[in-house]
Amino acid sequence: MDMLRVWPIVCEFGIGAILCIVGIWCGLRGGYLNLKNAEDRRLLLILVGGYFFMLGIMCIFTFLSPNWANGGTL
Amino acid sequence: MIAQAIGGNLDYAVMLGYFVAVLGFGLYFGRYTRTTKDFFFGGQRFSWWLIAFSCVATVVGSYSFIKYSAAGFRYGISSTQSYLNDWFWMPILVLVWLPIVYYNKITSVPEYLESRFDRKTRIAATVIILFYIVGYIGINLITLGRTLHTLLGWQVMTGAIVTAVAVALYVYIGGQTAVIMTDLVQGIILLVAGMGLFAAAIYHFGGFGDFWALLPRAHKYAFSEFNAPPKFSFIGIYVQDGLANTGALMLMHQGFIMRFLSLKSVKDSRRMVVCWILVLAPLAAIATSCGGWIAKALVKNGELVTEPGDSFVKAAHFLCAPGVFGFVLAALTAALMSTADSLINAVSAIFVNDIWRPYIKPNSDDKHYLRVARITSLAAAALGLALVPIFMKDTIYGAHSMFTAAVTPPVLVAILFGITWKRYTPAAAFVTIVGGAILIGLSFVWPDVLVGPFDFGMGPDSYKFMRALFGLLAAGTLGVSVTWFTKPKAAEKIKGLVAGTQLDAMRRFKGGTPNRRPGEKVRLITRFDPKLAGQNVVIVPQSALDKMAADPGDLLYASHIRWWYGGLRSVHVKAGTPIESKDENIVRISPEDAASAHFTEGQQVVVEKIM
Repeated sequence: MDMLRVWPIVCEFGIGAILCIVGIWCGLRGGYLNLKNAEDRRLLLILVGGYFFMLGIMCIFTFLSPNWANGGTL
Repeated sequence: MIAQAIGGNLDYAVMLGYFVAVLGFGLYFGRYTRTTKDFFFGGQRFSWWLIAFSCVATVVGSYSFIKYSAAGFRYGISSTQSYLNDWFWMPILVLVWLPIVYYNKITSVPEYLESRFDRKTRIAATVIILFYIVGYIGINLITLGRTLHTLLGWQVMTGAIVTAVAVALYVYIGGQTAVIMTDLVQGIILLVAGMGLFAAAIYHFGGFGDFWALLPRAHKYAFSEFNAPPKFSFIGIYVQDGLANTGALMLMHQGFIMRFLSLKSVKDSRRMVVCWILVLAPLAAIATSCGGWIAKALVKNGELVTEPGDSFVKAAHFLCAPGVFGFVLAALTAALMSTADSLINAVSAIFVNDIWRPYIKPNSDDKHYLRVARITSLAAAALGLALVPIFMKDTIYGAHSMFTAAVTPPVLVAILFGITWKRYTPAAAFVTIVGGAILIGLSFVWPDVLVGPFDFGMGPDSYKFMRALFGLLAAGTLGVSVTWFTKPKAAEKIKGLVAGTQLDAMRRFKGGTPNRRPGEKVRLITRFDPKLAGQNVVIVPQSALDKMAADPGDLLYASHIRWWYGGLRSVHVKAGTPIESKDENIVRISPEDAASAHFTEGQQVVVEKIM
């Protein structure tokens, strides 16, 4: 596996996870993000889901897409 | 750049027609601008989808099509990586920054910095932010100048002047409402043109597989290599664009703050952000970059000869029929106008709210400030034009990257620490901004000493990107160090201005305890009641209050029943105490509130609870 292609994912989604955790933690402090509220629970789900959606897209276009149409492995 | 003009008369006619139509559209919305609140914030009334399109149109500048297509031609689909960093900032934006800005009715970043820290921090930030926005205007103008040079053979400066005059004119008259409404049109056009071009290319090559097979293998990765090449490495792009530039767009870009404040509620901001970042931004990434990918495939197929900088225009010219090519050129124009208009309006807002109103002429009436705002819009466009000759010395990508990497880190760090860290002190904020800016300035004098250690082995070619990392670390270190040795502001004084106290800001905004119980929208018929004049209150039946889960004193929002108005005809009001009445579907509203919302008597409106 070519680590020069893997490190970008680790770096972007690692630092991204820290930013997301800081934001969610800051929302939970003081009760602005109130998980008893259905709307807020949905928002949290969307924020976490969006993160994994982006991760999935990036993995597809790193590990799979280069092999489409012309074969070969990473 | 290519020397000869390309395109036919029909293309130029379509482009000119579009230019005139947008100008007229913007000028039409001037009638919705009566106060500085309307001029800067569109009256805080718009729906999430309208602002989502507006944000995309603002993010996609004219430089985007040229810059990202050139990168797409050279490096492949990794040209989209700049657009795919935004999601990570969403929790901080939606859960911290937006509620703080919106509920405290903060009109600019410098105003926030004075409330959170002190006046000297506000002044320092004002200087840097004005420099940042005016520079951005210059970059946008030079890009269109260069594009018009390619297309029409005009001098770069002539193209820049023509577009600057057009944009300044409709911002002058229409303000933020004109900006938002024209951005909706321009956002749609630039997405349709870009995606349409991509679809035409797939059709031309005989399917996605055939197109994909024509791209070199190295062009098929979402990210470029970690530290290669120096001018387009992942780490360089990430620190300059993913951290410094995206952070600045979210937290310190006055144009975006004004968009957020134009929303009818903070709840709408959540929908807006999801639509913008998860749906529209990826589409915009494809729309702006695909010209380069298509050109690369056409070159491989032996059908086209082009340089990276011309790849978008040449690929579009190759694939489009006469007239359709003009539509694509209109998208380029749209991208320029929709970004420059926001920036010009933003400079005006900062000048009036952070310089003119507090220091030069306080306590004047709103008409005076509106006049100053309009004149400042013209001056901002002129200043941007003055910078065009300076930026002409570099490539667009280079000028844009160098500029954002150098200017944004200190203020970005000060805002980020300010909203997330209660202990962060006023002295530390000032040192972060001023000291950070000085250190970044010194990095131009001694680049090898200061930026060199952060270049990941890439050398001087990477400095214009890696300067962002140096700036973020330098400003951050200064901020943290000074915080430990200085006294923070009293907790009481920063209530509502820092994470953990957003509910205090909500209480202050409403003037009471927020009502967050879930409720429904109701449809009611307006009836004018002069007795309610000056109270900003409406009387709705008890049954309607029950359906909305609202109580007397709650903040309501009444709007036109046609959703596609996007809140253009709407008003925020407070719920009054219901009175006994036979009419169960009547909302009593003062004539002045109705006029502000452009309601007529007997009209059906939708009413919903905000909080």
